[in-house]
Amino acid sequence: MNKIRNVAVALTCVGVLTMAACTPGEKSSTQTTNNDPRSGPQELTYLYFTDGPDEQATRDLIAQYEKEKNVKVNLEIVPFSNLEQTLQARLSGGNAPDVARLSALTNFKTDLLDLNTYQKAALDGKFNEGFDKATKGANGERLAVPSDLTINGPFINVDQFKKAGVEPPTKDKPWKSWQEMVDAANKVKVANKTEYAVAVDVSGHRFSTMLSQYGTNLIGADGKSVGLDEARATQMISDFARWNSDGTMPKDLVLQAGSKYKAANEIFLAQQVPVYLSGNWQVAAFDKNAKFGWQAVPNPCQARCGGYPGGKFMAGFKKAKNPALAAEFVAWMNSAQAQKQMDAGANFLPTRKDLVDTTIDFKVRKDDMEVFKNEIKNTPEDTYGGAYAPAFTNAAKAFVSEMSNVLAGKQQPAEAATKIKTATEKAIKDAG
Amino acid sequence: MPAERPESRSPRPRRLTGKAIAPYLFILPNLIVFTAFTIIPAGYMFNMSLFDSRNGREFEPVGLGNFTEIATDGEFGRILWQTAVFTIFFVVSTVFFSTLFAVLLNDQFRGRTFFRAVLFLPSLLSAVVIGLIWGWMFERSNGLVNVLAGNLGLPEIPWLVNENLALGVVIFVGLWMHTGFYTLIVLAGLQGIDPNVYEAARVDGANSLQRFFRITWPLLRPTTLVVLILSTISGFQSFDFIWTLTGGGPVGSTTLIVQYIYEKGFSTPSRYGLAAAGGVVLFFIVFVLTMANFLYGRRKEAA
Repeated sequence: MNKIRNVAVALTCVGVLTMAACTPGEKSSTQTTNNDPRSGPQELTYLYFTDGPDEQATRDLIAQYEKEKNVKVNLEIVPFSNLEQTLQARLSGGNAPDVARLSALTNFKTDLLDLNTYQKAALDGKFNEGFDKATKGANGERLAVPSDLTINGPFINVDQFKKAGVEPPTKDKPWKSWQEMVDAANKVKVANKTEYAVAVDVSGHRFSTMLSQYGTNLIGADGKSVGLDEARATQMISDFARWNSDGTMPKDLVLQAGSKYKAANEIFLAQQVPVYLSGNWQVAAFDKNAKFGWQAVPNPCQARCGGYPGGKFMAGFKKAKNPALAAEFVAWMNSAQAQKQMDAGANFLPTRKDLVDTTIDFKVRKDDMEVFKNEIKNTPEDTYGGAYAPAFTNAAKAFVSEMSNVLAGKQQPAEAATKIKTATEKAIKDAG
Repeated sequence: MPAERPESRSPRPRRLTGKAIAPYLFILPNLIVFTAFTIIPAGYMFNMSLFDSRNGREFEPVGLGNFTEIATDGEFGRILWQTAVFTIFFVVSTVFFSTLFAVLLNDQFRGRTFFRAVLFLPSLLSAVVIGLIWGWMFERSNGLVNVLAGNLGLPEIPWLVNENLALGVVIFVGLWMHTGFYTLIVLAGLQGIDPNVYEAARVDGANSLQRFFRITWPLLRPTTLVVLILSTISGFQSFDFIWTLTGGGPVGSTTLIVQYIYEKGFSTPSRYGLAAAGGVVLFFIVFVLTMANFLYGRRKEAA
């Protein structure tokens, strides 16, 4: 029996060693070039994650496309939290979708279709330039289309502002500094006996809004260099830490978040904070859940004004059954007419340059969406390069981590600024 | 002529009879599943630790580069230390409380079955849910624990904001979650001890403490060894409830090694090779500690 056992152990060892001798993974995909979308299969799979009201708007547009082009589109919805793993598993298993909605391109760049091969005229030069830069591959190929834009900005509890007799900021009379916003919010806090005055989501992306308003960014406009001005960053971190220490902001929220993203929307919805910095995606959610008067207001200015951009992409895959059809679908869904309809139904902000100045009939809370739409023009151009850079995620993680260390009293703001700069350098180097 | 002693015969190779093969056939289904979902992925992990990947599908060989990065990365060293501290406190407390509860629940008293069930209940709950619920209970403002403390005139305690307190909370919740299971194991061990031994000790005049330290504890050693090994493995593998309870914070003070592996592997941008290297390090730590526990326990038993 010992012999059997020894043979089994030997076989296991040989198996493990054989496996160790193999390179895991697979070779990168190659792109086929059949430019006619009508030749080949007339069926598409669209992998999608939904933020809420956009699902119906997407289904409506797909129905129109199917009717117009006589194509069948299978919409496959996955939770946002599983998007990356689902997509990677499908790509590894040779079951790539034809088209997908993506929040980041970095991990899929070698799998994405060059849309310019098929739809250059329909896509090139049509989108917000800062955002569009992020869709380009190493050799200038178009790997995706910016399909919806998000802009960070504050919300206020109108009922509490009224009770305190404090005037909300307007497009023509925004808060001229963070201090002015904090002073106004603190007056409202005292009048309404709320726990805090201002809350910000615990996210490197949201913290970057404040950083941009203080006049600097983690990553430069080219997306490949460090953009951080240490003196400006130190000032921002000092103010943020001071307001967290004096009870203006919820310090526990930052410290308890650990390395996870933590939204402050619950504090706002519980009416424990009158000013909440988040982004336009909260509009539809607040419309549904807020039991009080609220509105979106322009971002506070400091060294400069505006919010901070984010957004999603739509991309096709090299392994699509009919790449030309995938590219046509992406272009059609992001044509001016389709995007305008999508933005209206889904409460998205436009990524197309020709839609920024047009009126969009937003289905939910039109005035609040207009506030965010106006912020697109106020948002500094250099923020786009940094926000969509491959290194942003890691740099933003370091940003949150070092801010937490300051709030925990473990380091001074200047030291944190230096460490954030070093971490950003490393993130850029790692991103290649 | 003296009869030939059986042990002097040269050992004859045993024939592969149905009886000899039967045990292997019984474990074969489990072995197939175990091989498919544990052995092969583990082998793949060793392999992947020697590569780097930016997208999870295309891998470049980096030799021992991932291990070098781990060794020179101050973050990993800090996390390893935190994992060791957590595991030591968790294992010691687990062995102490599971033995204590098992001894208490082994006595005959009214409601014994109810208390056994209550103690075991947390083991049936989802670790994610446990983390969330205790997280709400330990909130500084309006958390149940601080509300109760406030009723007793105590000040608000920053349970999840202070680094040391947060680590303490994580150890406590881990203990709360697992003690029932380990108590059950110790209870089974206790019930395997012959009551006549206690009876004889009583006749000889041994008091309850003497009976515990001279009879129960030594005879429970094999069971304690199982608890020690299982809780050590469980301590090093702790992640799910900590992730929902503290997210590894504040300022990374409750980030343990599995969270490090998870974050390297599953948050953007993924570092699968680095995550696999972390997994290999964890494997060797747990393997060495388990073997050391096992061999030490066997030697003690033999003595």
